[in-house]
Parts: sequence; structure tokens; C-alpha cells
Amino acid sequence: MDPITTLPKLLGIAWLLPLASFVLILFFGRRMGKAGSKAGYLATAAILSSCAISLFALFFVWLPNYELPGPVEHDESGHHETAAAHTGDAAEHGDHEGEAHEENGSGDHGENADVAEKPSDEADAAAANGGHEHGGEEHAAADSSAGQHGGAHHAEPSVRPITGDWYALGEFGSLRITIGYYIDSLTVLMFSMVTFIATCIHFYAYGYMHDELHDVDDHEVRMSDGSHLRRPGRFYRFFQYLSLFCFSMLGIVIAGNIAMVFVFWELVGICSYFLIGFYIERKSASNAANKAFIVNRVGDFGMIIGLMILFGTLGTFAFGDIDGKPGIFSQVRPEPSHQLIVPDGMIKAAAFEEIESGVEPTAEKIEAWRADTSPGTPGHWAYWLMIIAGLGIFCGCVGKSAQFPLHVWLPDAMEGPTPVSALVHSATMVAAGVYLVGRFFPVFVPEVLLVIAIIGCVTLFIAATIAITATDIKRVLAYSTVSQLGYMMLALGVGGWVAGMFHLITHAFFKSLLFMCSGSVIHAVHTNEMTEMGGLRKKMPWTAYTMLVGCLAIMGAGIPFTIGLSGHYSKDSILAQALSFRASNPMYGWLFIVAAGGAAITAFYMFRLWFMTFAGPPRNQERYDHAHESPRVMYVPLVVLAVFAVGVGWSTNTFYVDSLLGNFGVQPLLEQARPAGTLDTAHGVLMPNLVHPDEHESHFPAFHFPAELVAVATALTGLLLAAVFYGWRVLDPAEVRAQFRPIYDFLIHKWYFDELYDLIFVRPVLFIANRVAEFDKIVIDGLIHGVAMWTRVVALIDDLFDRYLIDGLVNAFSRWVFATAIWFRGAETGRLRQYVMFIVIGTVALFVLVTFYLNSTMAG
Amino acid sequence: MQSTYITLLSLIVFIPAAGALVLAFFPRDKGDAMKTFTLVVTAVVFGLTVIMALPGQGTWQFEQAQSAMQKVFSVPWISSFNIYYYMGVDGISFPLVILTTFVMMLSMAASWPIQKYVRAYCILFLILETGVLGVFLALDFFLFYVFWEVMLLPMYFLIGVWGGPRREYAAIKFFLYTLLGGVLMLIAILMLYFNSDVKLLSDDQLVASNVVSADLGDEERTAQIGEIRATDGPIHTFNILALQQLGQHTDAFDDELLFGKNLQWWAFLLLLIGFVIKVPSVPVHTWLPDAHVEAPTPISMILAGVLLKLGGYGIIRICYPICPDAGFELAYFVCGLGVVSMVYGAFAALAQTDFKRLVAYSSVSHMGYVVLGIGVWSAVAGNEFNSDSWKLGMNGAMFQMIAHGISSPGMFFLVGVVYDRVHHRNLDQFGGLFARMPVYAGLSIGIFFAGLGLPGLCGFIGEVFVTLSVWNYSHTLAVIAASVVILTAAYILWTLQRVYLGPEYKGPHAEALTPMNTRELLIAAPLMAFAIIFGVYPQAVFNYMTPSVNQTVDDLATWTKDVKTPQLEEEATAAVQPPARSVAQNQVRSK
Repeated sequence: MDPITTLPKLLGIAWLLPLASFVLILFFGRRMGKAGSKAGYLATAAILSSCAISLFALFFVWLPNYELPGPVEHDESGHHETAAAHTGDAAEHGDHEGEAHEENGSGDHGENADVAEKPSDEADAAAANGGHEHGGEEHAAADSSAGQHGGAHHAEPSVRPITGDWYALGEFGSLRITIGYYIDSLTVLMFSMVTFIATCIHFYAYGYMHDELHDVDDHEVRMSDGSHLRRPGRFYRFFQYLSLFCFSMLGIVIAGNIAMVFVFWELVGICSYFLIGFYIERKSASNAANKAFIVNRVGDFGMIIGLMILFGTLGTFAFGDIDGKPGIFSQVRPEPSHQLIVPDGMIKAAAFEEIESGVEPTAEKIEAWRADTSPGTPGHWAYWLMIIAGLGIFCGCVGKSAQFPLHVWLPDAMEGPTPVSALVHSATMVAAGVYLVGRFFPVFVPEVLLVIAIIGCVTLFIAATIAITATDIKRVLAYSTVSQLGYMMLALGVGGWVAGMFHLITHAFFKSLLFMCSGSVIHAVHTNEMTEMGGLRKKMPWTAYTMLVGCLAIMGAGIPFTIGLSGHYSKDSILAQALSFRASNPMYGWLFIVAAGGAAITAFYMFRLWFMTFAGPPRNQERYDHAHESPRVMYVPLVVLAVFAVGVGWSTNTFYVDSLLGNFGVQPLLEQARPAGTLDTAHGVLMPNLVHPDEHESHFPAFHFPAELVAVATALTGLLLAAVFYGWRVLDPAEVRAQFRPIYDFLIHKWYFDELYDLIFVRPVLFIANRVAEFDKIVIDGLIHGVAMWTRVVALIDDLFDRYLIDGLVNAFSRWVFATAIWFRGAETGRLRQYVMFIVIGTVALFVLVTFYLNSTMAG
Repeated sequence: MQSTYITLLSLIVFIPAAGALVLAFFPRDKGDAMKTFTLVVTAVVFGLTVIMALPGQGTWQFEQAQSAMQKVFSVPWISSFNIYYYMGVDGISFPLVILTTFVMMLSMAASWPIQKYVRAYCILFLILETGVLGVFLALDFFLFYVFWEVMLLPMYFLIGVWGGPRREYAAIKFFLYTLLGGVLMLIAILMLYFNSDVKLLSDDQLVASNVVSADLGDEERTAQIGEIRATDGPIHTFNILALQQLGQHTDAFDDELLFGKNLQWWAFLLLLIGFVIKVPSVPVHTWLPDAHVEAPTPISMILAGVLLKLGGYGIIRICYPICPDAGFELAYFVCGLGVVSMVYGAFAALAQTDFKRLVAYSSVSHMGYVVLGIGVWSAVAGNEFNSDSWKLGMNGAMFQMIAHGISSPGMFFLVGVVYDRVHHRNLDQFGGLFARMPVYAGLSIGIFFAGLGLPGLCGFIGEVFVTLSVWNYSHTLAVIAASVVILTAAYILWTLQRVYLGPEYKGPHAEALTPMNTRELLIAAPLMAFAIIFGVYPQAVFNYMTPSVNQTVDDLATWTKDVKTPQLEEEATAAVQPPARSVAQNQVRSK
């Protein structure tokens, strides 16, 4: 089967099936059996089919067509030389930056490249060949250390991702905003993981949510008359949201461009909102839902800024090249070297003023701008654009993956039903932030990666410390999730791409397992408080022992250098990479130390949880007596996930059978998906001393051995401590609590983040809002009312003026005329003689006047 | 051709007016019959516009790919002042026309609860529709103004007679605000008219702007052009297209007028004030919350869905193309107005306790996107005159108008539904509606999410496209504009929580909370459907809109490149020279 045409169709169908289920349940859910019981079947069938299609795509389309890269060799000599190179000064690094990392490996690499070219068109193949030759030449000139470690170390991506667009949302000039796909082994792997876990959780939820099949008494909601709320069940609605969520989550995974990621980013956000607030009658649930969405929007605000910069300067959102139009990745890391550069578009945007003043942005000019990164130049500002864009995108990830300082929403999100916590708030959606950092990894400059590492590190520590004191079983797991996501961010931030994504996959399995186990417990004892549990392993062995597997997995249990549970491998590679990063950047050595310390705390709080729940005597006899093992539909998924929690980290190489089956496993699949050019050692520009080491170096014994020993040792320490306090009960936690009162208070109040945010964000916003509303009422409307009033006053004066002055004058005149007329009436006597005398006097007077007048004018 | 078009467009505009006339002869007591008749009339008009949108309608069909005006006709009306009965439609006005007829039809259906003076209500309603459609279709500035004023009066009475307790206050406030805008607009129109001269235009431009009809044969056309050229003195015009040509290609409006600013600067400002009052932008927005709160539900729907769009339409059609020089200078001011409205409206919405007032302020915020998107003049020298971002912004703004035209009538209608039942709008006295009215709550949440800008619903496309476009114009404005998403989420989610979620209803008349009836469902469901369709497949709108919008942007980008930039460079060199000259003079003097 030709993967180029088959995979988009297959994954497209797998993606749309949950949407179809959502639409059907939306319109007909109510009529699907009693309280919509059939809706559960429909949603489960949809996600099961999606899972089958995804696995088919992985095993029967992807693997036969793209051979996985071989295992990374642990070459001692290679390490020494590279380590030596690290101690060299930065200038030397700068010198061979351009040449040393383009070498092609020997041996199996050639095969890989051939396989890779098979699906590409001829032009691509030619380009790849060109790359080879070029790389080969450079190889001769490059220092020999780099050439020695392994075949996967080459500039060309081992497999070209399959890219394309389904349709456009908008198209203006050269700008296109589309719905498309970007498929590589990471996409296929994520599809398989998400659909598989979602399937398990659908089955589990069928048992967990059965209360919703009939009328529900919600004891947490008190009505105004004092009674408890009684409401009809909402079974179908739960599955409706779950289907929409699966569709949205798969949309993020398959997205071919960052705008599409944003679209589905928001959609998973809204699904999360619905699911957290599933118990809409509970005030706490709707508050938590609002908090989750709004906090996420804060992250999205940053993400939009990142999107604006990328779109405004690069003119595209696409990850990969589509129809010959270069995507973001190939603009940032152009062929053939795939070295990270500031793309032309950003240089031009930064040189805005120069271009405006008439400088022609020719290729040479752009090159010159790019080369000069001293402060105040376009090159400098362009590099800052790269940083801001990167941080902006990361901001979105901080929100979604609940990293410090936006981690506050996730623990509250536990208000949702437990299957939701397992699927949305541990295994998939919150991991989407990590996934996006991984997907967008080629665009992050070392300075941004450093920020990511620090944020991850701070998060993992804060969350782990809070988890120590939490007593709500789900909140412990929630903080554990935040902490583990911090590990992933840390791994990515120190350059461990495979390590971070690997932990994402393994964590998804064991954390969903842990959540589902906790759900099973809650289902049995009807409380979240661990202080009311204890000794439950006798009542619910399936749950207890699968949860024990989960705890061991998250702790990273294993026999050093031999075998371990899935978390063992992923956590080891994170610590090894942090150690390797420490060797290159001694000033950031604390990242490793915090991560190692965090591993101890992880083991401590996980086993604290397990001991408090399942071991010792029951703390609440009544609840203990009513407890029971969950139905089979719930614990079978637990067993399935436990199996994966144990083994998902293994590859055929673990058992030395890779000669038979090829090197199959999650790690090789991720190695295959590694973005082109990201394996090279990278140097900061604004921080020239910042070095991100090649990830393969972390496999060298000098890093790998100590990291593995530290990991196991810290985990055991944590486990022992937990056993001392809660298993053997040698020490009384209450005493310790009393002794360290201030610290305990600080932790139990979750470092006072909620209070702080309320004080510095929520209240000021509401304050401003109220002032704005008042401004409208008092100032603007006041002004208008004032104008209106003055107009009326003027009108009044005008009226008075009319009435008294003008009308007064007119009236006065008429009164005078009248009076005069009355007076004249006296002259009308009726005597003829008198009249004649008047006429005579009048005539004489007239003549005198006329004569006088004429004379005077003539004289004048 | 012209006769076909004159029939088509005149029918669209005047069928409602004719309907109003017929209503006068209905018997007094047949209220329901009058409403039904009015609904039929609005449906017929809607049908006509839909026919234009569908393919295969021959000469009546709207040509999607054509960017220029189509269905143009022009017949003399008042010849002594060169006033024509002159109309046409393009991709900018056509989507708004369909939106108008659609929203009008739905609001008429939402008018059933009206019991007072039904005949007068229906008559005013139909006259209002004629006025609005006339404004969108008129191409003669005087005709435009006449229709603008025609719609003012019915609106005044519709709020003032059928409104809530403070209806008279709200109606007068609305009337005075809009009248002020109208008067300023009239001054600008006359300024432009008396400075216009069609003789400045080339032959091609005369034909393009329909001063000389394109339908004429060659000979006749030459004769008419000759006639124009032979006339003594300037020939003034109200022709909007001719004024656009004059503004972009001649210096007819460049004379200095007041305070060192030229005529088109002042004309732009006056027109802008007139239009942003209608949009409305902060600080001339305070008529809107009062008008909405007092207006009956259907009138609120029209007000939000249609009337606000007239402002945005005016800015796109008139302000920028006729006065590009002023637009260039004031672009930042216009964008600033947009951003301030977005932020201010969102903050104010957050503080409201009256459901309808909250939705009204959300309108202020959402229409801010429109003003912002229109103004992002990013095609400048530093950008190598790349107009793509601006196209994105203006298309986004146009889309936002359509999207807001779907979502805000929906919101107002849904508020009205619950108000009809419980007769209060106090946000603190709701809660639990989800349990009592599930379908209603579902639709409400959908429509409110469309307003929130959730992907997959119409609000997202406009908001995101506009926001994305701003970066290339101004980083500061872009960042502020992007931050509004947080506030929007906050006030919408908080509202949903207070009204629909929670265990029980907290206000009076709990017994009246019955599920939606069929009529209400038939009004809300289409709005919801279109919110989804436009959100998932926005090309359905862009296909009609984009060619004309892009043409407008390209014209202005070309103008920036060919006229404005050389002029600026000239000024820059001139600014450098005077000191040099004075030095030279000093030297002369010293000699």
C-alpha cells in the first residue's frame, strides 16, 4: 500500500469516526435506550474502530514501508572525544557548527534513506541524493568524533512526513489558512496511543457511569429547601462529550499546520470545560470548568501572539512543505543542512525600516542582516522575533499542559468524573502541550528551549511538593500529572526530544491506569479522601495490584542495566539528557539535581498514596465494609493498561531479539520521527555559552550509567521513606507535620497560588470592569445628559426671551398704540368747526415745514 | 440589462414599502393576519436575495468571481443636482443584503408576542427594512443619505412605543446620537459634492464609475463623454464610485480646509464619526446598551444583527476609498478605536448584571474587531506593498460582520425567550435553566460559544483572521487585540454559569419556565445552523465576498504605492532641504 495516499485517508477516517458518533448522540442520544444507554455502545464502537484503524495504519502501512532506525550505539570513544569538544571554547563550536553536523552515518543509514525516498517523488529523491553527496564531502572535513556514533545521526530526515491540505478556511493572496495533515511516525504513534487508551476508558466509563442510567441523587448539591438534588441521568451526554473530545484530540495530532492545532486546541479546551463541569449543578464543578477554560485562554493569548508573528513574517502556518510551498520547518531549517536559521521572512520584517528607506531586500542583503546579530540591528530583532514566537507558542503549551505559572487549573479539574480525569486530564489533552512542543521543536532556538527547561523544572518541583500533603486521592494524581508533564518539558528543553516524547507515551499509559484505579476506589468507597481509606487491597485486589504496577511504573522501578518498567526507561533518558546538558552548561546543573530530587518525591507521594489506600487497617470501618471490587468491565481495562505500563517502554532491542524483528519499539519509532536537524549540537546566539548537546550523547555510559543509578537510587529512597511513614508506620506523619508546621501550611495551601492570582488578577480585572461600567454611566452618559440639560436650559432661556423680551416689546408697542388711539379718540368731537381748524393748522404747518426743508437742502 | 437590474434591485428594496402600504388596508382587529402578511413579505424579499445567491439564475444571479459592481442601473432622479436613482451590488454589500433579509425575516417571526398597535408595528418594521436595504444598495451618495435617514424614524418609534419602561429615554438617546451622525455625514457629503468634478476623470474611469453607462454603444458613449468634456465649469457628482475614483486618482479633495488639514481629512473624520456612532465604537456607544435593554426582542435582533453593520459598511465603502489620504493618516486612530472598543466593551460586559446589557456590551466588543480589521493599513513601503495582511484583515472584518449578524441576534433572541417567560433579566436571579429548558440551554450555549469565538462556530473565523492581520500593522495593537480572548471567555463563561448551570432557578415566576415552543425553535435553530456552517466552511461566505474586498484593498495598496509614497518621499526631501536653503541664504547675506 502506498502510504502517501493511504495514510491520510486511514487516519482521516479514524479521526472523523468519533465526530460522527458525537453528532449522532447529539441529535438522537436521548432516544438511544433508557437514559441513552445505547449511546455508550455507539461511542465505544466509534473509538474502537478508530483504534483498529490506527493500529492497522501503524503495523500494516507504516512499518512495512519505513524501516525503523537501528539502535543507538553506546560508543565509549565517541563520548570522550565529544566530551572533550564540550570543554572547548564556544568560538570553536561556532566554527564547526556549519560543517560538523552534516555527516552521514555509515552502514544502515543508506538503506534508511532509500526507504525514505521510495514514497517521495523524483525531485525529492534527487535533492536527498544531493544532500548525501554534500554531506559526504563535509563528513570528510568534519571532525571524526561525530561520525562514530551510529547510523541515525544524519542531517536528512530518515522519513519525509506526509503532508497535504484537505480544504481551506480562508485564502487571501498568498495567505492560506487550511485544514490539513502532517503524518510521520509520531503522528501514527500518537493516534494509536490516544485511541487505544480512549478505548480502554470508554469501556471503563461504561461501568463507572452506570449511575447515570437512572435518576441520580447528587449528595454534593443542596437545594434551597435543604434537600439533595435529584435529577435524571445523563449517561448519553457523557459519551457525547467524550466522542467530541476524541475527535478534537486526534485533530491536534493529525494537524498539518499550527493554526489547525489552535483550532483543535480550543476544541479540546471546550470539551474539557464540558467534562469538568459535567455535574453542572455543582458550583465547584462549574467554577473549576470556568477556571480551566479561562486559564487556558491566558496561555492561548500567548499562542495567538506566536501565531501572529509566524503568520505575519513567514506567510504560512503549515509545518511541512505543501505543493512546493515551503512550510515553517523548511523555512526555519532549510535544506540541505537543516541548521536552525532565522528565516528570510523574519529578517525582512525586522528590517522594516531599512526597506522603507529604500534598501532593496536582495538575497545578499538578507544574508548580511542575518549574519549581524549585534544589538540594534535587524538581525538582532529578527532573532528576538524567533524567541518571542517560540515563547508565544510555548505559552499555549504552558496553559494546556498545566505548567507553572498556569498549573492551577488542573487539580481543580478533578471535579469531573474520573474517566475524564484519566483520559483528558492525564493521558491525552494535557499531554497535547508537550506534544506541540515536540512537534514545534525545530523552531525553538536554544534560548527558548532553556526557558522551557526551566519552566518544566520549576513545575515538576512545585507540583511534586504539593502532592506530598494532598489527601484527595485524585488531587495527588493531578499534581503528579503536573509534575510528570514538567519532566517532559524539562526533557525537551534540555534537548532530549526522544526522551520527552517517550515519557509522554509511557506516562499516558501508567497515569491513565493510576487514575482509573483511583476511580475504581472512589467507586467503591464513595469518597476521594485517603484519610477515610486504608486496607482496601483485601477488598479489591485487582484494583490494588494494578495500581501497584502503576506506582512502580511511575516511580521508574527496574533493575539497572537489565530491565525495568516503562517509566524506568523514559525517566532514565530524561535524567541522562539533563546530566549531559549539565556537562555542557554547568550553570544549569541544578536542573538535573531538581529532576533527580523530584524522582525521589515522586516515589514518595505515589507510595504514600498506595499505602494509605490499600495497606494497613481501615481508617473508616463503615466505608471499608461497603467497599467492593469493581465490575469486570472496569477492571479488565485496568489489567490491559497495567500490561502496557509494564512493557510499553520495551523494544525488541531490550531483549536482544532485534535481529529477528527489526528494532521495533516506541523509542525507535520516535527516533524515526525526530525532526530533521535537531540532533545537532545547538548554540545560543544571545547566550553564546548555552549549548544543547546532541541527544545521542546521553546514551554514552558517562551520562547513562550515573543517570540510571541515580534514578533507581532516588526512587528507592522515596519508596523507603513512604514505607517508613505509611507502610511500616515507624514514624508518625502527624508529628513531622507538627514539627514543620510552616512548610506544611505552605504546601497544603498549594504555595498560595490561588490566593495570589485572585489578588493580582481576578480582583483587579473585576475592579477595572466595574470602573469601566461606571465610566459609561457617569462620565460618558453624564456628559451626554449634561449636553442635553444645557440644551434644555438654553431652550428655556430662549423661551423666556421670546415670551418676556420680544413678546413683551411687541405687546408694549401694541398697548401704546392702543392707548394713543384711545387718547386720540378724545379729538373726535363731531364739531365741524373744530375739524376745519385742525385742517387749516395742519396745512399751514405742512407748508412751513416743506418750505423750511427745501430751503435748507438748497442752501446745503 | 439595466431594466432587468432596476426591476430586481427595486423589488428587493421596495417590496417591504409596498407591503407597508397594503397593511394600511387590513381590518383593525386582524393582528395575526397582519403579522403573517409581514412575515410573508420579509420571506419574499429573503427569497429574492437567495435566488440571486444561487447558481443558474441567468441575469439575476450574483457573479461570485466578479469584483466590480454588478446589477448596476442609474436613472436621473433630481437632474438639477446630478442626483440619480443609482444602485448596484458587489461582494461587500451582497452578503450584508442577504444577512439583512434573513435577520429581518427571523425577527418578524420573533415579533409574535407583540400585541400593541400591531398595524403600526408592522408598517414601521417594513419601512425599516426598505431603509436598510436601500443603504446597502445605493450608489448615489444622496440616495444613500435619504435611506439612512429613512430607517432612523421607524427605529425611533419601534423603540419608543414598543419598548420597556425607560423606552422614551432610550429612543431619544438613539435618535439624537444617530441624527448627530447623520448631520455630520450630510456636511461631509456636501463638502465632497461641491469639490467634485467628473471632468477630472479619464474616459475609462467615467465608464467604470458608471457616470457614462457601460451599456451604451461606442458612438453614444463617445458622444456622452464629449458632452461632459464640453460643459463649462465643474460637474459635481453624488456618484459614490466616481467619488472613489476622484479620491484615489485626482487631487480634487486635497485642498486645504482648516487647521492645516485638507478637505478629505475633514470629510473622512465627519463620515467616520457618523459611521462609528452606528458601529458603535467607544466613546460614542452609550446609546446601544440603553436601546437594547429597552427595545423589544425583535428590534434588538435587528439593531444588533443589521443596523450596526451599516457603520462598518460605510467605513469600507465610503470612508477609505473616497478619502484614502485621510485614511492613511488616520489609520492608526481608526484601529485604535477598534481596539479600545474591544477591550472596553469586554470589560464593561464583565461588570453587567442585566442579561441584555451584557449582550449589548459584547456587541460593542465584537464590532471593535470590524473597525480594527478594516483599518490595518499594512501595505506600505517597509512591507514592499504586500497587501495580503490587509486583505486578511478586511475579509476578516467583513466576515466578523456576518458572524456577528448571526450570533448577536441569536443571543438577543435567546435572552428574549427567557424574558418572555420570567419578565426579568437579572443575571443573579437565574440558574438551573439547563435542567428546565434543555433544548433552549443547548442552543444558548452554542450561540454564546459562537460569540466567544470557539473554533467550528462563526465567531472564531472573523476574530482570529482580524487578530492575525494586525501584527503586520502594529505590534502593540496586535498584542492588546489578542488579549481580548481572555476577557471574552471570562464574561461569556461567567454568564453561562450564572444563567444555565447550577441546581435550581433562583428568580421569580419559576413556574413559567416551559421548554421552547416550535416557533422559537424555528428562529433559533437556523441561526445556530448558520453559526456552525460558517464556522466550519467559511468559504461559503468568502466566495461571495473576497473578490470585491480584495479589489478594494488592492486599489488602496496601489494608491499607497503610486501616489502616497512618492508624495511622502517628496515631503521628506523637502523637509531636509529648507535648512540647507537657509544656510545658503545666510551665506549670501554674509557676503
